[in-house]
Amino acid sequence: MTEKKNQRIVVRPTDVELTAPAGTALRDLLFEQGVEFPCGGQGRCRGCRVRVLEGTAEINAAQRERLTPQELADGWRLACQCSLVDDLVVELRQWDAAILADDTPFNFAPRPGLGVAVDLGTTTLVAQLLNLATGKVLAVRTGLNAQARYGADIMSRLQFAVSDGGQATLNRLIRRQIASLIQQLILSAKVPSSEISDVVLVGNTVMHHLFCGIDVEPLSHYPFESNEIGLQTFRARDLEWNLNERSTIRFLPCLGGFVGSDILAGVLATKLGESREFAGLMDLGTNGEIVIGNRTRLFCASTAAGPAFEGARISMGMRAATGAISQVEVENERLLCHVLGNVAPQGLCGSGLVDAVAAGLELETIQASGRLANGAKEWMLKPPVVLTQNDIRELQLAKAAIAAGARILLERSGTSISDLKELYLAGAFGNYIRHSSAQRIGLINMPSDRIAPAGNTALLGAKLALFSLDNEDGSYTELRSRIEHVPLKADANFQDIFVEELSFPSSTHVHS
Amino acid sequence: MSIFEELQQAIIDGKAPVAKGLTEKALSEGARPAEFFPKAIIPAMNEVGRRMRECEFFIPEVLIAARAARAATDILRPLLVGDEAVRSAGTVVCGTVKGDLHDIGKNIVAMMLESAGFEIVDLGVDVPPEKVVEAVRQHAANIVAMSALLTTTMVNMKAVIDALAGAGLRGQVKVMVGGAPVTEAWARSIGADGYGKDASAAVEMARSLVAAA
Repeated sequence: MTEKKNQRIVVRPTDVELTAPAGTALRDLLFEQGVEFPCGGQGRCRGCRVRVLEGTAEINAAQRERLTPQELADGWRLACQCSLVDDLVVELRQWDAAILADDTPFNFAPRPGLGVAVDLGTTTLVAQLLNLATGKVLAVRTGLNAQARYGADIMSRLQFAVSDGGQATLNRLIRRQIASLIQQLILSAKVPSSEISDVVLVGNTVMHHLFCGIDVEPLSHYPFESNEIGLQTFRARDLEWNLNERSTIRFLPCLGGFVGSDILAGVLATKLGESREFAGLMDLGTNGEIVIGNRTRLFCASTAAGPAFEGARISMGMRAATGAISQVEVENERLLCHVLGNVAPQGLCGSGLVDAVAAGLELETIQASGRLANGAKEWMLKPPVVLTQNDIRELQLAKAAIAAGARILLERSGTSISDLKELYLAGAFGNYIRHSSAQRIGLINMPSDRIAPAGNTALLGAKLALFSLDNEDGSYTELRSRIEHVPLKADANFQDIFVEELSFPSSTHVHS
Repeated sequence: MSIFEELQQAIIDGKAPVAKGLTEKALSEGARPAEFFPKAIIPAMNEVGRRMRECEFFIPEVLIAARAARAATDILRPLLVGDEAVRSAGTVVCGTVKGDLHDIGKNIVAMMLESAGFEIVDLGVDVPPEKVVEAVRQHAANIVAMSALLTTTMVNMKAVIDALAGAGLRGQVKVMVGGAPVTEAWARSIGADGYGKDASAAVEMARSLVAAA
């Protein structure tokens, strides 16, 4: 076997340079750089389009369908459909598109200076440096939350925080890590740090408290409510950050319970608060967050889905990285598994898990009760990756928590799922999950055509906030007064509905 | 198949109306109320426990089986009052600790214990230690069974044990703990008498704790 030749790719505007074996999917390479694939890399949307400035990338049928001949001639490609067959220089469309090329009117007032938007997640961090006058993204940095070594999920993080000195440790750690991300952005964009006038951060309530230095103890037990969820404003010196002393750092306000400013940002990004018709937003992670409503009234909740969607507590679960089975399809009664990076499979990530179970239900390898047929203990997907009976149980717990939460919010809004104009799916998992599979397992009981992948709505909302600072100081008082937080655990029906939702829908009940 | 075997199957299959009908039929045919437990209900719930351990049954199947068992015991309990031949297996005060609202696991344990012949005093969720102390005193309980599903709330199990000790009741009551984040080592570290990995283990544990008392 001859060794594969390596190819080089340069990504603009961040000028990141990567090397990978010839034939590597651009999707796998760019995903690691924080690029999103809104339709899950199926070639069904234009979200991942890139412009090839140097080198050649193939054109296939899916691209001819989505891109005009002129666009193709100008070098536009869908990143999800291309692989690295030549040294390339590509320009990303995505990071600009969100702000300026959005076709809906947006209150964008150019202002001098630079801004930073930060999505502070329990697991991952994303920071973007923006030119506030042009709306252009100058640099992007992503990282894993350094606090994760003190607890991967939010409850164990909280437990560490309420232990001796834990809160101070986590506070120091995250402030330093974000300071360092911002320094990397400055270095990469080659701009003076003194030009940064504003930083806007969003995150769930626990991240908000840990960053801002607010006691998380009230969030560690019933009723899981804190009184200090408002906008927090800092100067660089308050945080010991090496930025212009006149710059303002804002952590946007939370909505209640664990539902934080990442979801407020999601409401801004999807314009749920302006929608005449009922619509919804779901962010599927360890804590699943859901918002349902219209411009009159919105209801939000968080539901403890557990880490199954992120591949944790799954016997061969892993993050969506090279070697992960990310998609499973049934073709002629046989399983087709797509492995990220086109290498031998090592495990299963969240989207692959949902697909695999949906495929199992289709093939009747998995019964509606979640039981593997014929008393089997595990199911071989693609050697050596297996799906165990317990993995299916973990997924049942996760999907039931989400589905039950959605049912309760729909009830509170006085609407039904068939009346929702659109359901936006936020977050990386929301982008990658196959809608038909989500529907098949009963995670989202809605026809695929009304499910809209919305990308990183937390980051997009943070950017929108950054550009609206002339009109809105970041407290969002009016919008927040229209959003009610519903504590699910306190709902008398939650556990009954949860138990009902544990089973998978039998195929006849699934929407076509 | 004898009528007790039929009842056993109805419980395992989670058929509450069938279980109720079979219980009434057996009684009308002269079966003694006390017979039902060793001959149908306890073996049925043992089988449910086995299937749960082996991942064959999941929460919904266990809950509907427990509901079917309850359809039978609801008829039988009033008939057993004053029956000297039937000794309760013991009295268990159970609940989910303060700060925690999860009760599916606790409810399953309570129903399994009840089917195994224990008297259950279920204090519900978010239970403060004082309430446990009061219930132990009032019902002269043999066992306190506490559940927690959050790593942040399981520390409150220790508060319950301390409160029992403070009230001078620790010597007369056994404490068992369970719930997803709870481990054998944790149970030992807080001075609990027993830990059950799942609901069927809880029944075994409760039996042996009462026997050892």
